[in-house]
Amino acid sequence: MAVSGLATRGAFARAPRRGTASRLLEDERWLAAALLLPTVILLALFIAYPFVEGVWLAVTNATVGVPGKFVGLANFEMLWNDSIFRVAVWNTFVYTAVATVFKLGLGLWLALLLNRNFRGKAFTRAFILLPFIIPTVLSTYAWKWMFDPTFSVINWTLFQLDIIHSRINWLGDPGLALISVIIVNVWRGVPFYAISLLAGLQTINPELQEAAAIDGAPPWQRFWHITWPLLLPVTMVVVLFSVIQTFADFQLVYVLTGGGPANATQLFATYAYQLGVGTGLLSQGAAVSLAMFPFLLIIVVVQLLYIRRVEVH
Amino acid sequence: MPRIGRRKFLKISGAGAIAARTGGIAAILASGKAPAFAQGATVHWLRWNDFVPSSDVLLRDKIIPECAKDLGITLNIEMINGNDIQARTTAAIQSGTGPDVICALNNWPQLYADSVAEVTAVADKIGHDQGGFYHVSTVVAHNGKKWLGVPWCIVGAENAYRKSWFDAIGVSKFPNTWDEYRAAGKKLKAKGQPIGQALGHSFGDPPTFWYPFLWSFGGAEVDKSGKKVVLNSKATVEAVKYGVAFWKDCCDEGGLAWDDSSNNRAFLAGTISSTLNGASIYLLAKREPDKYLTEKGTPLWQDIRHGIMPRGPAGRFSCQLPMTNMLMGYSKQQDAARKFLAWITSKPIYQAWFDSQGGYTVGATTIWEKDPIWNKDPVMAPYRTVGRGAEFPGYPGPADRNAAEVLSKYIIIDMFAKAVQGMSAEDAVKWATSEVQKVHA
Amino acid sequence: MIEGAKWRRWVYFYIPLGIFIVWLLFPFYWMLVTSVRPDRELYRPWMAPNYAPFWTTHPTLVHIIDLLTQTLFIRWMANTLFIAIVSTLISLFCGLLAGYALSRLKFPFAGMLGTGIFITYLVPQTLLFIPLANIIRNFNLGDTPWALILTYPTFLIPFCTWLLMGYFKAIPRELEECARIDGATRWKAMLYVIFPIAVPGILSAGIFAFTLSWNEFIYALVFLSSAHEKTVSVGVTSELVRGDVFYWGQLMAGALLGSIPVAFIYSFFVEYYVAGLTGSVKG
Repeated sequence: MAVSGLATRGAFARAPRRGTASRLLEDERWLAAALLLPTVILLALFIAYPFVEGVWLAVTNATVGVPGKFVGLANFEMLWNDSIFRVAVWNTFVYTAVATVFKLGLGLWLALLLNRNFRGKAFTRAFILLPFIIPTVLSTYAWKWMFDPTFSVINWTLFQLDIIHSRINWLGDPGLALISVIIVNVWRGVPFYAISLLAGLQTINPELQEAAAIDGAPPWQRFWHITWPLLLPVTMVVVLFSVIQTFADFQLVYVLTGGGPANATQLFATYAYQLGVGTGLLSQGAAVSLAMFPFLLIIVVVQLLYIRRVEVH
Repeated sequence: MPRIGRRKFLKISGAGAIAARTGGIAAILASGKAPAFAQGATVHWLRWNDFVPSSDVLLRDKIIPECAKDLGITLNIEMINGNDIQARTTAAIQSGTGPDVICALNNWPQLYADSVAEVTAVADKIGHDQGGFYHVSTVVAHNGKKWLGVPWCIVGAENAYRKSWFDAIGVSKFPNTWDEYRAAGKKLKAKGQPIGQALGHSFGDPPTFWYPFLWSFGGAEVDKSGKKVVLNSKATVEAVKYGVAFWKDCCDEGGLAWDDSSNNRAFLAGTISSTLNGASIYLLAKREPDKYLTEKGTPLWQDIRHGIMPRGPAGRFSCQLPMTNMLMGYSKQQDAARKFLAWITSKPIYQAWFDSQGGYTVGATTIWEKDPIWNKDPVMAPYRTVGRGAEFPGYPGPADRNAAEVLSKYIIIDMFAKAVQGMSAEDAVKWATSEVQKVHA
Repeated sequence: MIEGAKWRRWVYFYIPLGIFIVWLLFPFYWMLVTSVRPDRELYRPWMAPNYAPFWTTHPTLVHIIDLLTQTLFIRWMANTLFIAIVSTLISLFCGLLAGYALSRLKFPFAGMLGTGIFITYLVPQTLLFIPLANIIRNFNLGDTPWALILTYPTFLIPFCTWLLMGYFKAIPRELEECARIDGATRWKAMLYVIFPIAVPGILSAGIFAFTLSWNEFIYALVFLSSAHEKTVSVGVTSELVRGDVFYWGQLMAGALLGSIPVAFIYSFFVEYYVAGLTGSVKG
C-alpha cells in the first residue's frame, strides 16, 4: 500500500535546519500539547462553566430567577418517587435500544449496498443523506402530517394495498406512538450510519477481499473475517455517539407528540425540558438531565472497554 | 419579522399611506419635536405570532412608527412560535439579558414572578380606565399583592360547530348541557361526523376543554386555599367516567394524538362536526372562502357557528387563554418600557390592534365587550363575553406556581387520557391525585 | 461485484437498495407535493374519494414564491450556511489535531483527556442552553452569528475527535515510521502522510459536523433574536407556524429548499472523496 508520499519524500530530506519550535514539536509530549490546545481552550471556555452550573443546579432548589439553596440529593429523591420519571426512563431505554439496533443493522446494510459500483452512485450516496441533512424540526413536521390521524398518507397507502381496513392511530395509541417516534428516529439516523460506515468500508484495502475471494471464501465469511473486524473501530465510535444522541433526543419527540399521549413518549430530555423550562423548576430539570449521566456513563464505559478490547486484538 | 400577506394588505388598506404620514423617527428629528426619551431608547418586545396576518402588518407598519412618534421609543417586535417563548424567557432571566417586554401566555407570569419589574401603577390605571380586568386575566397576572405584568388580551375559546350537520340530527341550537351535547355527538359520530377534541400534550386546546369539563362536574385539583389537594373525589371520578363515555360515544379518537392545530385541520377538512377552539377556524375559512368548502361545495364559513361550553351538574365553566405583557426585571429600559406598556394598552392604540384581530382575541378589560366590532358578525358574537366568568387551571384556588406545574405536566389531561386508554376511572384519579400531591408537597 | 445469475443481483442489490431509497426519500416527495399543492386541496381527509396524496392536478408555485418573497428565507439560508461552514471548519481543525494527538502520540494523561473531551458530549443540550446563555452574554455575542459559531463546536469537536481517532488508528504505524526514517519531522509526517490518508474520515466528520450545525434548533432559537439573523429552522418555524394554524405549503417548501441544495453540494464531495480515496490506496 504505497502512499502518495513518493513526491514529498524529497522534501523531507531537504529539511536539515530546525528551529526551537520544531525541535519541541519533535517531542511527543510537546506536540500533543500543541495539538490539543485549541480543543481544550474552546471546550473550557464554553462548556466547563455550564457543566458545573448544571451540576450545581441539580443539588439546589433553584427555580427560574431564584438562585435557590443547597438541598443535597433531595431532587433525586423526588425523582425516585416520580411515576412520570420512571415512565420516561423506561421509554428512553426502549427508544434508544430499539432505534440503535435498527439504525446499525439497516445502516450497515445500506453501506454495503452503496459500496458497490453502480450508475448514479455519487448522486445516490449524497441524496440518501437527505433525511440527515434536513433540519429535524422541519422533517418532523412533515412526519407529523404523514402520521396525522385525519390526513395520514401512510394509512391511505396501507388501505389501498388492502393491508388495513380502518385507520391506524399512529401517534394516538400509546404503544404505536413510541413506535412511530422510533420510526422517525431510525429514518433520520440510518443515512448517517450508512455514510460513516461507507467511509470506513472504503479505507479497507480491496486487495484483502480479492485475496480471500481467490482463496474461495464465500461472501458472508469474507465479510465476517475481513471486513467486519476492520470496520469495527469506526462502527463502535459511530454507535457510541449515536447512542448518546438518541438517549438525549429532544426535538423530534417535542414536535411530534410533546411526550403524549399520557406520557407514552416521554423521554429524559423532554421531561427535563418540561420541568426545567415549562414549569421553571430549573433544579428538578437539571436533576433529570443529570440522572441521564450514570446511565450514559455505563453504556459509554462498556462500549469504550469493548473498543479497547477490539483494538488489542 | 413576519411579512406574510404584506403586499396584499397594503393594497387593501393603504397602511402604507399611514406609515408614510407618520414618518417614524426621521420625521420627529426633522420636525424638531422633543421626544419623551433620549434617542436610542429601544424596547424589545417578544410575543407569539398569532395567526392574524393583518395584525402583524399593523404592528410593523403602524404601531412601530407611531411609537417612535409618540414616545420617541424605537420598538423592536420579535414574534416566535408560542411553544418556544418559555425557552427564550428562561434563558433571558437566567443570563439577565433579553427582551425588555415578554408577552406571556397562560399563567406564566406566576412562574417568573421573581423576575418581573413593577408595573402595578400601569396595570391599575389601565384597569381603572377600561372598566376593570376580567377575573381570568387577574388570576394569572396578579399575585395577591401586585401585578406581575399588564394583562394584554384573551384568546377566546368556544365550540365551533357545523350548523347544517347539527340541523340534520334535529339539534337547531348548540347543546346546553353535557347530556344534550353527548346525545347529539353520539348521533353525529354514528354518521361519521364525530366531535373532535385534543387529548394530547399541547398547551392550548387540551386544557381549555378538559379543565372546565372537570369543574362542571364539581371536580377540582385543590380547594379554595390552593393548599389542600381535593382531586380524589366522587365528582372527579364521575367526570372521568363521563369523559370516557363522551369520548367513546362522540369523539374522533385520533384526538389522543392531537395538538392545538390538529382540530383546525380536521374541522376545515370536514371530518369533525364540532370542536372547542379559538376563532381561528372560522376566521380562516372566512378569509379564504374559495379554499375551504363544505361537502356540498358551498363556502365552509357560512356553515360554522359558535356555541359556549355546555353545563354540567355543577354548573357552566370555561377556561380561556390569557396573555400578559411582563416587564422583565433585568431590562435596562425600565422607564421606557413602562411608558410603552401604558401607551400600547391605552384605549386608542389598543383599539387599532383589537380591530385588526377581528375577534380572535378579546381585550383583557371589560370595556371591549361594548365595541361595535361585535355587531358586525353575529357568528362571532359568542366571543364577545368569553372573558366573563372564565377560570384558569388552579381553580378554585389561585393560578399559582403549583397550578402551573400541574398544568405543564399535563396531569389533569393525562388523567382523562389514561382512562380513555382503558385505565379504570378510579385508578386514573388516584394516579392523578398522587401526582398533584407531589407537586404540592 | 455480485457473482452469479442476474436474479441474484436483483434480490441482493437492486430491490433492497430500491426499498431503502423509497423509504428514505418518500417524505421528501411528500414535501414536494405538499409545497406545490394548492391550499384548497390540502385539507382532504385520507378517506375522502378525491384524496390524491401522490400528485396534484393543479400544481402551484405560490407557496414557494411566497416563501422566497414574503419571508426572509434567502437571508436565513445565507446565515445558516455561514454559521455551519465556519463552525464546521473550526471543529474539523480542532478535532483533526486532537484526534491525531490522542490516537498516535504517547503522553501523560492521554486517556484522561480523551475521556474528558468525550464527557462534554454527554451534557444534554436541553438544559445546557440556560447557563450557556450567561457565557454568550459575558462575551457579548448575543444576536450575532458568533454566538452559534463558537458554541456549536462544543458538541461537534468531541464527535470529530473521536471519529478521527478511529480512522487514525486504522492507519498502519509503519507508514509514519517510513516517512520519519526518510527524514520527515513528526509534524510533517502527520501533515503529509497521515492526514491525506484520513481524507474520507475527515470528510465524513465534516459532513456530520456541517449537518448538525445546519439543523441545530435550540441554541439558534435562544441566542438569536433579530429576524435577519435567524437560521432556517428557527426562521421557518417562527414565521410559518402561527398560533394554531400551520402554513403547510410554505413550511414544506422551506424544508425542501433548506435541505436539497445541501444534498447537491454533498454529491460533489462524495464523488471527490471516493476518487481521492482510490488514488491514495492504489497510488
